[in-house]
Amino acid sequence: MQVTVLSDDDLVTARREGRLMAGQLGFSASEATLVATAIAELARNMVVHARHGEIRLGAVNDSRRRGITIVARDQGVGICGAKRAPQAGYPAGAGLGLGLPGVKRLMDEFDIACETGRGTTITATKWRPQ
Amino acid sequence: MSVTVLWSKAASRALSTAGGNSEQAKNATLAERYWEILQAYLADGSEASLSRGYELARQAMVEGCGVLELAEIHDASLRRLRAESRTEERLLRATSAFFAECLSPFEMSHRGAQEGARALRHLNEVLESELKRIAHVLHDQASQLLASVHIAVVDVANEVPPQARTRFEKVEQLLAQVEAELRNLSHEWRPTVLDNLGLLPALEFLAQNVAKRTGIPVIVTGEAGTDVRLPGTVETALYRIVQEALNNAIKHAAARSVWIELQYLPYLVTCSVRDDGRGFDAGREPKALGLGLTGIRERVNALGGSLRLVTTPLNGTTLQASIPLGD
Repeated sequence: MQVTVLSDDDLVTARREGRLMAGQLGFSASEATLVATAIAELARNMVVHARHGEIRLGAVNDSRRRGITIVARDQGVGICGAKRAPQAGYPAGAGLGLGLPGVKRLMDEFDIACETGRGTTITATKWRPQ
Repeated sequence: MSVTVLWSKAASRALSTAGGNSEQAKNATLAERYWEILQAYLADGSEASLSRGYELARQAMVEGCGVLELAEIHDASLRRLRAESRTEERLLRATSAFFAECLSPFEMSHRGAQEGARALRHLNEVLESELKRIAHVLHDQASQLLASVHIAVVDVANEVPPQARTRFEKVEQLLAQVEAELRNLSHEWRPTVLDNLGLLPALEFLAQNVAKRTGIPVIVTGEAGTDVRLPGTVETALYRIVQEALNNAIKHAAARSVWIELQYLPYLVTCSVRDDGRGFDAGREPKALGLGLTGIRERVNALGGSLRLVTTPLNGTTLQASIPLGD
């Protein structure tokens, strides 16, 4: 499942698909809400900061559990863009733990891969509680 | 993404006291927007409506709205639904789902705060163990090295002609002084007495050392019951606070005497440091004090305590830290 994120409407689509998939994988409604929240924050980041982004959703398995993985990829100036270092005008944030740090805390696994000039890929996984 | 001010204490107060200018209040208050979007969600059940609710609550939170205020607003919506006799199971379920969505940013923030508190505790522990290590190195290794130098100097002094000897004696005296200061410093930095005997003996030890070093009497009073042990984090924090306050009193306030008082209640520990120095205008903290006081405040806040600073020019300063004991 893949959603191209250019606008607030795409953000809504990504959330809806994430919630749906989480439900199908057996997550509870409140866990599915947290998955939707994580997607919303990732998509929000793309709408605000990146020129183009896409979010892919997929089911994952290991030997004993199932989960959902969100892969958020943006192109061009992502969070790692060299010209977009914090001193170049990133909001310092109100320290409320929203945005990417919030996503990390809502999910079980979180990874950021940057390729300067080519964009950023964020991979986040939430496992279903046993 | 459009941004409008959704919520402010001033706006909601104005609304509740004056009844509110209808148009402006309608746009300005979170409650109305919440109700509006909830209506939309109950009508269409769409992800777009949920997303609007989420963004509304997210921004309200950024603007300072608390979780209880949001709960109140949600409750008002529920009452409104009941007044309209819209109480079918389906609607109530959807209303709950909408509320959960709006709570989600608060959940994220809550997890962040918990993580932050854990990190702060850990950082403090690391800092303390580093201090312990440095104190240990100073005490054991540096002191030993100095002692060897001392012995070597004495050796050389014995071999030089008598007229040069007095100059060596002077060096010896200075070396003895450096050794004593190093010993005192390393003890004060991380006194083993704090770990082994507790806060009150550690404060007494600190007071003695400071008095010896500066010539300013430091009087420690422990009320009944202050001989029991407190959690390590509280003992360390209070020790550091007193250390900093003493430093301020002597270095910046030109105190002639300092009094330290410790009092334990079943649920609260209070420690005050009072001096008869020059005091200052509490509204304008002198720059020299700023950093130290900030450090004291942070330590107190990290433990959920409060800090009182009573001072006026020429009338000395009292700093009182109160730390609650609990889970």
